[in-house]
Amino acid sequence: MPTITIFKQDLETLLAGPGEAPQPITIEQLEESLMLVKGELKGQNPDTGELRIELQDSNRPDLWCCEGIARQFRAKRQGALSKYDFLTTKLKSPKRLNVAPGLEKVRPYVAACAATGYLVTQEGLAQLVQTQEKLSEMFGRKRRTVSIGLYRLAAIEFPLTYDLVKPDEASFTPLGMNTVMTLGEMLLVHPKGLEFGGILAGQDRLPFLRDAKRQALSFPPIINSRESGEVRVGDDALFVEVTGTDLSMVVLTLNIFAANLADRGAVIEPVEIRYPYKTVLGTGVITPQDLEKSQKLPISTIEQALGQALGAQKVANALRAYGYGVATKGKHITVTLPFYRQDLMHAMDVVEDVAISRGYGDFLPVMPSQFTVGGLSRIEEVSDRVRTLMVGMGFQEIISNILGSPQDLRDAMRLEGTEWGQLVEVDNVMSQNFSALRQWMLPSLLRVEAASNRAFYPHRLFEAGEVARPDPTQSVGSRTVTVLGGMIAHADTHFSEAHSCLDTLFYYVNQTYSLEPIQHPSFLAGRVGSIISEGKQVGVIGELHPEVLERWQISVPAVAFEIDLTELAGR
Amino acid sequence: MDISSLIESLHPLEIKVLSTFGVNHSAILTTEQLAQSTGLEPSQLSMAIEWLLAKSLLVVDTETSTPIVSLTKTGELYFEKYSPIERVLSVARDAAKTGKRLTIQDIQSREGLEPTETSGAIGRLKKEGVLLIIQGGCIESTGRASQTAEAMRGLLQQLHGAPRELRAFPEAQRQVIQDHAVKRGNAREPFRIDDRVTRALTLSATGIEAAQQLSRQETAEEVSQLTPELLKDGSWRAKRFRKYTISLRAPRIAPGKRHPYREFLDAVKTQLVSMGFQEMRGSLVETEFWNMDALFMPQFHPARDIHDVYFVKEPTHASSIAEPFLSQVAQAHQHGGETGSTGWNYPFDVERARRLVLRSQGTAVSAHTLAAQPAVPGKYFSIARCFRYDQVDATHATDFFQVEGIVLGEDINFRTLLGLLNLFAREVAHAKEVKFLPAYFPFTEPSVELHVRHPKLGWMELGGAGLFRSEVTLPLGVTVPVIAWGLGLDRMAMVALGIHDIRELFTDNLDLIRATRGAF
Repeated sequence: MPTITIFKQDLETLLAGPGEAPQPITIEQLEESLMLVKGELKGQNPDTGELRIELQDSNRPDLWCCEGIARQFRAKRQGALSKYDFLTTKLKSPKRLNVAPGLEKVRPYVAACAATGYLVTQEGLAQLVQTQEKLSEMFGRKRRTVSIGLYRLAAIEFPLTYDLVKPDEASFTPLGMNTVMTLGEMLLVHPKGLEFGGILAGQDRLPFLRDAKRQALSFPPIINSRESGEVRVGDDALFVEVTGTDLSMVVLTLNIFAANLADRGAVIEPVEIRYPYKTVLGTGVITPQDLEKSQKLPISTIEQALGQALGAQKVANALRAYGYGVATKGKHITVTLPFYRQDLMHAMDVVEDVAISRGYGDFLPVMPSQFTVGGLSRIEEVSDRVRTLMVGMGFQEIISNILGSPQDLRDAMRLEGTEWGQLVEVDNVMSQNFSALRQWMLPSLLRVEAASNRAFYPHRLFEAGEVARPDPTQSVGSRTVTVLGGMIAHADTHFSEAHSCLDTLFYYVNQTYSLEPIQHPSFLAGRVGSIISEGKQVGVIGELHPEVLERWQISVPAVAFEIDLTELAGR
Repeated sequence: MDISSLIESLHPLEIKVLSTFGVNHSAILTTEQLAQSTGLEPSQLSMAIEWLLAKSLLVVDTETSTPIVSLTKTGELYFEKYSPIERVLSVARDAAKTGKRLTIQDIQSREGLEPTETSGAIGRLKKEGVLLIIQGGCIESTGRASQTAEAMRGLLQQLHGAPRELRAFPEAQRQVIQDHAVKRGNAREPFRIDDRVTRALTLSATGIEAAQQLSRQETAEEVSQLTPELLKDGSWRAKRFRKYTISLRAPRIAPGKRHPYREFLDAVKTQLVSMGFQEMRGSLVETEFWNMDALFMPQFHPARDIHDVYFVKEPTHASSIAEPFLSQVAQAHQHGGETGSTGWNYPFDVERARRLVLRSQGTAVSAHTLAAQPAVPGKYFSIARCFRYDQVDATHATDFFQVEGIVLGEDINFRTLLGLLNLFAREVAHAKEVKFLPAYFPFTEPSVELHVRHPKLGWMELGGAGLFRSEVTLPLGVTVPVIAWGLGLDRMAMVALGIHDIRELFTDNLDLIRATRGAF
């Protein structure tokens, strides 16, 4: 979900189209219209006209810029998308970009175009740079699949070559530096080389874009040349290039740039890419290019999904006003996405666009009418029952994080190296405090006790909740178990106080149990028992070991018990 | 106020004083007599008298003031070291015997006296004709006795540690006392005269009535506690029960009670059940498959990387993933399979699908339900603990509850989705105004964000929902349309609990947990 910064005046200029007077838009109108692009106004500066907008849809990179937002608004206002001539005009001898053999194993695809006649403004340049960053960062997966270069056209002589060279074979002065260095040096020294060099790891030859005079344009996907690759305010002829590992994404990215520059009044001149190897688009690929195939679907599919009989005309109008190419015939509609989108995977994607184009407010909510019976899971019912009993016995319920630290869950309980101390641990630890799932409830209760020595006594605490226990017989290697933990702490507490509560609980859940003396490091020897019910261990009860209390820095005696509710619920 | 409520309001000290008059109702008692017969401390007595006067139960009969003489600090000092007049006189007499001549300064420095003391003493002695001042400022004794010096000596002895009434002294001594009593601006004198006020008090008409009633009451024995014995033999009838001061603060107790956040979640749970939803449960540890793949989130999706999800250390991978779901989901990702979708067009990694994670979204529980032949029509919900790789702060918790669920049915479409959200807005947030905004979730299309005008919070996002993509439902064996919904209730919970930091939902502060009233 990218957040972008745009300027209100720029948006108003783009809404009108090149050569027209800006079309004013109020903040209220803007917020309303942002629904069309799944956008949310996050902030604004009325003095500068700066607007911060968050775009939700990660499948619509064309909307991550002022031009794209304006284009979507404009289509809605005009009822259809404006024509983009460069997609259809045939050039006799287009500018050419030759691809060197071997790049199919390094960074196979490139797309490029020239844009002339648009005088770059401050705002326009800021948008170009922001779009370049957002697309390569989020859509291009940090330049791995797509990266973008912008150049001053005047400094370039065609045909260009997308070359493959040894690290010390090519050198130029990169942006942000003032010395000539080799590609290899850039990977070692330049900030961008250090940041993105990993993309080319293991390659003994590197991508290198140069012109007919062998002058460097850039070292994709790392850095541009300072000579040609620094666009300035006042330039009126640009060259855009996209390289990457996925041909359709590379072409889509260039299409978005071409549309953006055309919307600002530039004349787009396509470039022919000549590959020495096969691509799904052939060996000669003109870019930008409309790759969208049309899709035919029944009107009824759309109507059923929306729950509203709209009819072919309304559906067609809605889609046209959302930028689609549309043709209707009988009960079917044939739709084509605009050339700057590639996110049509399923008929339902078209359905949503119809709804968004018409506005969600256009659809009257209807209650689902079919009858269903509600209810709680068995474990939740059992859990609720014992919670009510615990409250009746004067216990205060607590609620805790399930993620804890091995120190609290195991070490402070004296369980190192025991079966009770086995934990489900996190691999990518952010903080030791949150690095393991609790395997039992007592540490959660002790956590509160340790922090509450100033709260007046007695303390009677309980929590019913989930714990995770390693279990090799399970496919996921552990079991999620719901347990009840209860604890009593005050100066005179002793085993039988906890025992009475346990006894009462078992009576009211209508189960029998017995206590068997065991050795458990968390409890005082001779004052701890395993709770056995129907021949199964279902819990533990005892007086907490003084060393455990010491490790938690608790200064009153405490008795506790824990019961496996999942086991009881299964009966 | 009537007489009995007046009596009930009396403090034990007041009762004690009132009862002292009780034997003889016309008695006029002085404060001294009262002090004697009640045995009260002077401060307690005067407090009780002031209260009774204020309540008009007592009236002042007469008020007399008696001058009392006592020694000041200076006086006590003179008692020990003799008064300046005696010391001057004795020095002058010694000098006369030896024929030595002394100046006033000599006397002053020899005896360590203050100039005022010396000049006062010499002035008095000269007036009595006991001393003469001769040429050169020297002093000469005449050999006569000083009445003042003798009176002073006697007074100091009589008054040492025992103040007496001024009128007990003969006229001559009274004169000496008055001459040498502390006055304004002259603190260094041996005597002090204070007026002691003695009040004679008597009962008012109401006071007599109250005293009579009190004396009647006192015939019944007072007990502090009703006991089984008193009930058994009926002797409680002859007892009087000590009255409590019920306006005191009650002693604190700590009741057993539910946690306020749990109470909030219980209310949500009850509401969902009442709307016909069946509860689902799931596992804290999930495979990436159920957590994400089954929800059509491509394996390269940014929300799946190491900075968003907690991965399990050991074992790292599940032993298996149930078929046919694994193959069908893999196909949906790769090229759409039988779902009518183009798919994501990338090689699906089965190994990645088996990777174990801590459940990061409640929708994973719904995915399992979809694959387990759910009822159609059917409504399901879960309140699932989820984990996110987030830096913990006031608005981000590392583990938290997600309230989410699904609705399956032939009649499910975009409009019934909006209808369901309307219901949630009304029932869960008690909101009358609702806004539906387009939204994006990887597993739903169309997707909606539900905004409501909360009675306290104003416009807020209550939840997200949508129709599950066919790429989600069909590979899991569900052929009817399905609504997926989720509610973000933590902000509402925080308002209900009166807290501003999400970490306080799981606080370890028992005082805070005990003190929180919760939603009501």
